Amino acid sequence: MNNPVMSASGTFGYGEEYAGYVDLNRLGAVVVKGLSLKPRLGNPPPRIMETASGMLNSIGLQNIGVDVFIEEKLPFLRKYDTAVIANIYGETYDEFKKVAKKLSLAKGVHALEVNISCPNVKKGGVCFGTDPKIAARVTSTVKDETGLPVIVKLTPNVTDIAAIAQAVEKAGADIISLINTLTGMSVDLKTRRPHLKNITGGLSGPAIKPVALRMVWQVIQKVSIPVIGIGGIMTAEDALEFFILGAKAVQIGTANFVNPHATLNVIEGIKNYLIENKINNINDIIGTFHF
Amino acid sequence: MAANIYIGEIIENEEIQEDCFLMKVKTAPSFQNPLPGQFVMIRIAGLNDPFLSRPISIYSFSRNENYCVIELLYRVVGSGTQIMAGLIEDSQVEINGPLGNGFDMLSVKENIVIIAGGIGIAPLSMLTENLRRTHPSSTMMVYKGFQSASAVVGLDKMQKLCRNISVCTDDGTLGEKGFVTQIFQRNMKQFPPERTSIYACGPGAMLKSLAKILNKSKFSAQVSLEERMACGVGACMGCAVAIKDKNGALAYRRVCADGPVFNLRDIIWE
Repeated sequence: MNNPVMSASGTFGYGEEYAGYVDLNRLGAVVVKGLSLKPRLGNPPPRIMETASGMLNSIGLQNIGVDVFIEEKLPFLRKYDTAVIANIYGETYDEFKKVAKKLSLAKGVHALEVNISCPNVKKGGVCFGTDPKIAARVTSTVKDETGLPVIVKLTPNVTDIAAIAQAVEKAGADIISLINTLTGMSVDLKTRRPHLKNITGGLSGPAIKPVALRMVWQVIQKVSIPVIGIGGIMTAEDALEFFILGAKAVQIGTANFVNPHATLNVIEGIKNYLIENKINNINDIIGTFHF
Repeated sequence: MAANIYIGEIIENEEIQEDCFLMKVKTAPSFQNPLPGQFVMIRIAGLNDPFLSRPISIYSFSRNENYCVIELLYRVVGSGTQIMAGLIEDSQVEINGPLGNGFDMLSVKENIVIIAGGIGIAPLSMLTENLRRTHPSSTMMVYKGFQSASAVVGLDKMQKLCRNISVCTDDGTLGEKGFVTQIFQRNMKQFPPERTSIYACGPGAMLKSLAKILNKSKFSAQVSLEERMACGVGACMGCAVAIKDKNGALAYRRVCADGPVFNLRDIIWE
C-alpha cells in the first residue's frame, strides 16, 4: 500500500465516481461499494437524512452484483496503482462463499472486506455481525474460499465489540476494520413519520467518531491482528487519533460526500503533521496511546 | 476535466420574493459551462452544521475572461437553505459542479412546451435561454404556475425570453386560477404530440399529475427531479428515484448522476 488511508465502502462508489476529483493512485486503497452475488435493488426512498454532524442512510445495499463489477468496474480500477479491496455481502453463508470465490479468481482484487455489519437488510447483516459464533463462521467460510487477505468489518451495534473481534480473529480473519454505521432514526415533525422509508438507518459522519475511537481502542486491546479505524474521520487530526490508539490504517467514509478531496486532504495533513513534529514514519506514532 | 470543486465568492444574495433568493456566485474561469438542467452542490467550507452540501440547480451562467458567474435561484425550505439565505456579499462558498445530466437538447422538436411550477422555473429558465439560441425557429409556449401572486418568481426574466406565457396561480391572485397542469391539459390539443417537446420541473405532485395527463397521450416529456442528496456525484445512492427499466421492471436510479432529468414516462409514482 502507498499509504494507510483508504476510502470506505459505500462512500466512494466503484472509484470512478471520484476519479475526476482524486488521483486514485495516491490512495492507500479503494474499498468498493458492497457487492452481493446478485444485483440488489436497494431500499425505497427516502434513503438519507441529515443529522447533527452526520447523516442517516438506508440504501439497502443497492449494487450491481459481483459479476457486473468484475466485468465492468474492475478493469477501470486495474489501471491504477492502488490496492482494490472488494467489500462483500451475503444473506447466507453460501452467498458469502460464492462472492468470495468469484472475486478471488478476478484479476486486480487485492483483499476482501467482509461486511457482517450492515444494519439495513433485515435478513442479513445484523444477524451475522452481532453473534460471535455466526461472525466466526462467516469469517472461516470466506477464508476457505480465498487466498486473498480477509478483512472483517464489524458493526458497532453490539454490547461487546471485543468478543466479536476475538471470535473473527480466531476464525482466521487477517485484519479487522471498524466501525460500520450506528443504527439510528429521525422523525419528521410535520408528518410525524420517520424521515427514512426504512424507518431506521445507519448513522455516520463526525457525530460517531468518539464511539468509533472507543470501540477501536477496546478491540486493539484484545486482538493481535491489524485493525483499520473507521468512523467520522473528516480531517488528518481525526485520522491521527485512530493511529495513536493503534490502528494500522484508516478509512474515510462520509467525509467524501461533503468534500470529495477528503482522502487526499487527510493524506497531506498526516504528512504535514509528521514533518512538523519531526516524526520520520507514521509507524512511529501508531499505538503510542497512553493514560 | 469535468465537474470539480471551486471556491465561490458571493457577489449578490437577494431575497427577490418571500423566502426566494437569487444568489450570484463568482468563481474561477475553469468552471465548465453547465448544460441547462445541471446543478451544483453548495456548502459553506468547514461547517459541520448543516453537514451536507445542498443541491441547487443552475438558474443562469455567464463568463468573461477572468471569472464565471453562477446564478442560483432557491427557496428556503430547511436549515441548509436558511443558512444560505443568511450569507452576505463576499462570503465564500464551496461549489461542486456542474453535476448531473442536463435536458436533452439534441432532439428538440418544432413545438416547445415548458411547464414550470414554483421554483421549478430555475432550470427551465436556463433551458429556455439556451433553446432560444439553439432552436430559434421552434415555437415556444411556457406554462407557469405559482401558489399565489406573492410567490411569483423568475417571471420577469422568462417574459424577456418568451412571448407566449400562460401564468396561473392556485388561488387566482395572478393570471388564471388553477394548477398549471390543468391549464396545459385544456390547451394540449393545439400541440401535435409527435412534433412537440415538453420540458417540466416543479413539485412532485405537479409532475405526478402531468404524468397522469400525458401517459394517456403520445407526448413525451423530460422532467427535472429533486431529491435529498449527500454526495451529488453518484456514490452514495441516497437520492434514489423509482423508475421502470428497459424491461419495465422496477429499478432505483440516482437523481444526481442518472438524472436529474428523466423521461416522465419512466418514473414510477407512489
